[in-house]
Amino acid sequence: MEAALKAMAAPHRRRILTLVRDDELTAGAIAAHFDVTRPAVSQHLNVLKEAGLLSERRNGTRRLYRARPQGLEELRSFLEEFWDDRLEALKTEAENEERTKRAHDD
Amino acid sequence: MHTTTETSIEREIAIAASPETVWEFLVDSEKSTRWMGLNARLDPRPGGEYHVEVCPGQTAGGEFVQLDPPHRLVWTWGWDEGSTSEVPLGSTTIEVTLVPQGEGTLLHFTHSGLPSADDLKSHTHGWEHYLERLTVAAGGEDPGPDPWAER
Repeated sequence: MEAALKAMAAPHRRRILTLVRDDELTAGAIAAHFDVTRPAVSQHLNVLKEAGLLSERRNGTRRLYRARPQGLEELRSFLEEFWDDRLEALKTEAENEERTKRAHDD
Repeated sequence: MHTTTETSIEREIAIAASPETVWEFLVDSEKSTRWMGLNARLDPRPGGEYHVEVCPGQTAGGEFVQLDPPHRLVWTWGWDEGSTSEVPLGSTTIEVTLVPQGEGTLLHFTHSGLPSADDLKSHTHGWEHYLERLTVAAGGEDPGPDPWAER
């Protein structure tokens, strides 16, 4: 999960995922959208692949890349956990406050 | 034409405190930071500002939509321009209802307006939206140990 989070943190990589949302593209076609070097793009593709956000398919000598929505589902779970943690914190704080209030009332 | 199937996150939690007490933690700038964020600027009236720096450099913003103290609160939620995300402020909606339960409260939480993964296949805006949102959920450039969990 941490790999997916790190992968998503770079704006270039988010743009790559947007590019391959609907279309399978080669590394060359992806690189054409950026001012960065081809090796840099390859590096981004590797990071995304290892994070489970990108799938790679061989077609003859070409390698095609496409976004992998399942990877995003996992990140969605992360967001859910965020709210679970926050709501748990809200519960703790509100209950502490209530105890303090009632102690004063007694 | 795209049909948007939005998903939402729903939670229910029982709190041993009165709805009035819980309400304060939702709308009071100081109290709200005890459970979320480093600092907050809350103006709890319809159209009023909702502004919370959730973790360093990552600021959630939106505005209050409906307030019916201490029963129901609706506000919009998005991410500030300065954040990693470029999601417009107030692009999703959070609704909290508080129902008295004995001496406590049953809190129902809904965060809606999140596109589903299936939807991403056909919904351009949803996709970018989702990427951005999740990125921020990650806590920015260096997720490391979850900074949001440290409060």
